[in-house]
Amino acid sequence: MHEQISILRPIRTPVIPAGDDFDRLIEAVAMRRDRDAFARLFDHFAPRLKAYLMKAGATAGAAEDFAQDAMLTVWRKAELFDRTKAHAATWIFTIARNRRLDVLRQDARRLPLPEIDLVQDEPEQPDTVVLAAENAARLKAAMARLSPDQIEVLRLAFFQDNPHSEIARRLELPLGTVKSRIRKAMIKLRTLLDDEQGGAA
Amino acid sequence: MTGVHNPSEERLLAYAAGTLSPPEAVVVAAHLAMRPQNEAWVRTLQAVGGRLLDELEPQALAEDALARVMARAETDAGEVLASTPLNDMAGLPEPLRRYALGPWRWLGPGMRARDVHAPRDGDCRVILLEIGPGRETPKHTHGGIELTCVIHGAYATETALFEPGDFEEADGEVLHQPRVVSPDPCLCVVALDGQIQLDGWLGKLMQPFIKL
Repeated sequence: MHEQISILRPIRTPVIPAGDDFDRLIEAVAMRRDRDAFARLFDHFAPRLKAYLMKAGATAGAAEDFAQDAMLTVWRKAELFDRTKAHAATWIFTIARNRRLDVLRQDARRLPLPEIDLVQDEPEQPDTVVLAAENAARLKAAMARLSPDQIEVLRLAFFQDNPHSEIARRLELPLGTVKSRIRKAMIKLRTLLDDEQGGAA
Repeated sequence: MTGVHNPSEERLLAYAAGTLSPPEAVVVAAHLAMRPQNEAWVRTLQAVGGRLLDELEPQALAEDALARVMARAETDAGEVLASTPLNDMAGLPEPLRRYALGPWRWLGPGMRARDVHAPRDGDCRVILLEIGPGRETPKHTHGGIELTCVIHGAYATETALFEPGDFEEADGEVLHQPRVVSPDPCLCVVALDGQIQLDGWLGKLMQPFIKL
């Protein structure tokens, strides 16, 4: 009897949610301060945010604080989330990116740092929801077509603190080679995204 | 001579990743405010960062991590962001308006500069540089990296023309002598690392007086 009733309730599935499910979780936090939704976001993203800062050379303790602070920002700024502009992982990455500048800065004065704002006004288009979803699929397809070398160089560029010299050291390559490899990866990504766009039109 | 000058791919990527030094990030942010298509690209790179973040090997947090975040969410209502007053130069790109500006300093005929009180990184800092029409800066190389974004007017180097929104990267190996070619003064925002090394006998003579 109890089991039957539980089938009728919304069940918290143990399955890892797909990308747009995370979008819904942030929206649930925004709309009704949904703690369960936040707990699920936390389970998924906080350990990755901790890993993110450890990759930049931070201690486990500092990375833990960073992950908690970033997730607190997710809770507080959930109202600003707009899935037509960016999906959950993108939005949370940008929170981490803006915070990272702050954590790793050397200048002690608390002057504002340039932040990336994903929700700034753009010319509104009627089908932005479709566009954001299409863009995500397009980006996924494009990234899948980068070579392992190119993905590796992007990953290092995103996560290392001192990217170019660190990448050079890690991959045992001259600095110039690293820069040209990054450049090639970026140009390939641009080309792939443009092609996909052209193909869809 | 013409053509659009954008930051290099690796500098845009470093900005997107948040690994650029703060003074350099300020000049790139000013450039992006003037070049929406590059800003759109930086937003696309945020999605790349999001995918890479999602693929990271998770690191376990403390048992009570979530409870601690929830406790903080309840107790303090949020960081009260002191809204910094905008500075007096209404023509500046938005990212620069939030910083206080130092007084103008005379650097030579038709040349002046003022500090942008943005975060520094060691010796690297942000300045506004204004050079009058037809004026040339003394021929110089750089102690370190110099990033420039044109805000008004235009200047030309030996090889290229730089107009509003254009971005120039120069390092210790570049010897150049920009000349203002616009009818109005040329205003630039510059991230400057180290002192400018002036070239030639006149430069050497002026070096002690020019402190950027």
